[in-house]
Amino acid sequence: MPNSNELLNNIVGFVEGVARKEAREQVGTDFSEQKGKTTADIAKLHPKRLHLTVSEIFQDTPSTKTFRLVNNDSVNKGQILPPFQAGQYINLYTTINGVDTARPYAISSCPTQREYYDLTVKLVDGGFVTNYLLGEEVEVGQTFSATSPMGTFYHNPLFHGDDLVFLAGGSGGAPARSMIESQMSKNGNRGDKVNFHLVYGNSYENDVIFQDTFRELADKYDNFQLSEVISRPTDGYEGLKGHLNKELLTELLDGDVTKKTFYICGPTPFNDFCVGQLKALGVEDKRMRIECNGPPKKPSCLENWPEVVSEQDEITVTVKGRGQFVAKAGEPLLNSLERNGYTVENACRSGECSLCRVKILEGEVFNPPESLLRKSDKDFGWVHSCVAFPTTDIEILY
Amino acid sequence: MEQDSNHYDAIVIGAGNAGLTAATALQRGGAKTLLLERHNIPGGCATSFVRGEFEFEVALHQLSGLGTEDNPFIMRKIFNDLGVMDKVEFVQEHELYRMAVKDEFDITLPASWNGIRDVLIENFPQEETGIKAFLKLCEQVTMESFMGLPMARKMNSEEMLNKNCKNYVAHGLRDAKTVLDEHFESEHIKTLLAAYWCYIGMPPKDVNFCDLAVMLYAYGVFKPWHIKGGSQALSSALLESFLEAGGELRFNCAVDTIKTDQSGAKPKVTSVVTEFDEEIFAGQVISNASTVVTFADLLDTDIMPPGISKDFKSRDLGTSAFCLYLGMDKTPEQLGIKNASTFLSTTMDEELMHDTMKTMNPPVATMLTCYNVDDPSFAPPGKSQISLLCLQYGSVWEDVPVEKYAETKYAFAENLLDQAEEFFPGFRDSIEEVEVGTPLTMMRYLNTPGGAIYGFQQNPEDGPLHRERYDQVEGLHIAGSWQGMGGFQPTYMVGHSTANAIVKKIKKQRAQQASQVEAGVENA
Repeated sequence: MPNSNELLNNIVGFVEGVARKEAREQVGTDFSEQKGKTTADIAKLHPKRLHLTVSEIFQDTPSTKTFRLVNNDSVNKGQILPPFQAGQYINLYTTINGVDTARPYAISSCPTQREYYDLTVKLVDGGFVTNYLLGEEVEVGQTFSATSPMGTFYHNPLFHGDDLVFLAGGSGGAPARSMIESQMSKNGNRGDKVNFHLVYGNSYENDVIFQDTFRELADKYDNFQLSEVISRPTDGYEGLKGHLNKELLTELLDGDVTKKTFYICGPTPFNDFCVGQLKALGVEDKRMRIECNGPPKKPSCLENWPEVVSEQDEITVTVKGRGQFVAKAGEPLLNSLERNGYTVENACRSGECSLCRVKILEGEVFNPPESLLRKSDKDFGWVHSCVAFPTTDIEILY
Repeated sequence: MEQDSNHYDAIVIGAGNAGLTAATALQRGGAKTLLLERHNIPGGCATSFVRGEFEFEVALHQLSGLGTEDNPFIMRKIFNDLGVMDKVEFVQEHELYRMAVKDEFDITLPASWNGIRDVLIENFPQEETGIKAFLKLCEQVTMESFMGLPMARKMNSEEMLNKNCKNYVAHGLRDAKTVLDEHFESEHIKTLLAAYWCYIGMPPKDVNFCDLAVMLYAYGVFKPWHIKGGSQALSSALLESFLEAGGELRFNCAVDTIKTDQSGAKPKVTSVVTEFDEEIFAGQVISNASTVVTFADLLDTDIMPPGISKDFKSRDLGTSAFCLYLGMDKTPEQLGIKNASTFLSTTMDEELMHDTMKTMNPPVATMLTCYNVDDPSFAPPGKSQISLLCLQYGSVWEDVPVEKYAETKYAFAENLLDQAEEFFPGFRDSIEEVEVGTPLTMMRYLNTPGGAIYGFQQNPEDGPLHRERYDQVEGLHIAGSWQGMGGFQPTYMVGHSTANAIVKKIKKQRAQQASQVEAGVENA
């Protein structure tokens, strides 16, 4: 307000302020050198999308392949990938039979090198995406886009301590490998040597991901211990058999189990079982870190699912201002949206990250416990579509 | 009059506090408004995230300006105007803050103007005269800055200024440190009363006394507040009100370009282009992005408008923050935490505190907010939610190699935990969840240069008396901390006032068009 500067000159200190401002005008920059800098700085750690090429494919076990992915960005081609914390995942986008979808996969390679990320994918019975990835179609040279690494399943030195146990089931071996290699690479650094024990449960002895890698690590490092457990052994199998129950864990783990931090990653029933066993052993919630693992397979078996609704019921979903389609009550809303050509941002597909929030304008959905909704989202009808199941006809906004 | 679906009266870029209040006021004021937000959630700073059993408040420490039902203040009116009073529940806090300086003093100020006076006199009986004079001056300067000063400026009247704002004229733009020095002998009381400098980010010697006075008086008289469900609940309520009024919204949709018609003397906004290369038209664009991003990155002119360039040259980037979001498996009582806001430090030297903010040295001052002291619903039963933070400039983090980022972040976080542990023994052992936000985290989620949380640095010459509103591009309005002060109340207010000015303008245009049409009809 230059016209009233004369007035403001009456205020003690005003004139001096104007002089300081004018002095700064002489020496300052107009920030034009900042053009693009904020975006570039953010992208160094968290680019919105990665553009990746499959450089190698490894058949790990009969059910599992590892895809080695390198940077194929026009700008960053061949450059190293963003850093991540061992245990984190990327969400891999793909188009299958004309449907744009995505799935999160834990990075199984160690973050000390970033030439590539390894994604280790185990076949899921009837899995839409794993069947595609593990089929004949995906070859070296194929490109994918993906999110940058994310997720909260990693070793946090602020409160996890240095006595660590990983309870892995099947594909849980993927983040386990990254975490163990990462921890072992820190041996000797600043004296922060951890004790790491992997208890690895698998169904079949011929289908153990990274078996050789883990065994070599156990031979090499005295602070890494490996226990392999097979639940459906062949006759004559001489190793540990059964499930990771409290008796077995008590036998395997040295020292006070309540002072250890546990990382639990496997199929949902495996995770639930392990948590129950650890609780029975007196392990507190804060000492159990559980990786999320997709939407519930049978939501109708969960508490609060409306009795009158069957998973096969047909539901009309209206997307405000765009159109409508019919979906099954037992299918996550995100999946049916994608199948009908609606693109919704997403990443964890397990109810945690909240990227796939949509607002329910009309009707009801079932939100399982996986859905970590904010209080105000509950109040105003926003849901995480990746784990939301429509139980009446609904209208949504996103 | 049917319009194309990609034509709006106004487009708001960013759903931060100012973007939300602007969009809601615009739509409720009859302007067809589109709100674009690059993230998936409204709020900007005013947001939350969920980890395990905890929903963490990201940024709100104490909401000011609300007042009580009996003694309402401006934010109550604004929230009422915006239709959110029945959508959120406010929770009153009972203390201003506790300040504990190691080996020096440990005093808690109540959230009551007379109570503050009594506690100060009780702790500093020899300073009684100064205390009374200082608090009186705070009150006078605050009242004058809200009433007499705007009126005198509006009338451009020196007489009114000298008659109705004499305390402001004499002290408002002096630095807070000098005014404190004039009133008090004890360094303890000066440090205690200057604690709110951290809500501005500059040490008391670089803060206008009126800014400190307004904060003390406003929190003391109109109380500090919280919101059930955190600041996210207010953000979501504003969005709900916007949608109810018919506003249109796109999440996960960043704006890449603000396009202008440059044929006239002054560039004029015509449209915005989204990250998906979609062009959307509007004559009014309100940017809730930082001014630096708005003018350096988004605006399509080849060179920065001259007035902007001149203003920016006398600006510096403001501070960011390093914040630990902690879920504890103990109650506040078990942790020894008695009040919501605690300032902890190991020194009374605010310049040292500010200098430390420019380094990776362990912070000498931290702030600890325990949200469930006044509102138990903020954490599961038996647990607590805490934010432990220090202010820190983002530039020191921009030099950290990306592969060292995680370990640097944890190492720096240990410093804050060490300090909390000194004041609250056993603190570290009670952690159930912790998420670390560095200045680069703030940058990622706010898209501000340097991860600045309060906009440009708030030097004494950067206040509203010394800075004009940006109007170098016709139809482009800046709303947010980069236009004025940082913090919740100022950003809510600037969004609201920006929108109201635009609504007025649009209504006037419509009235003119209508009368032209009428005139045309008559002529025909």
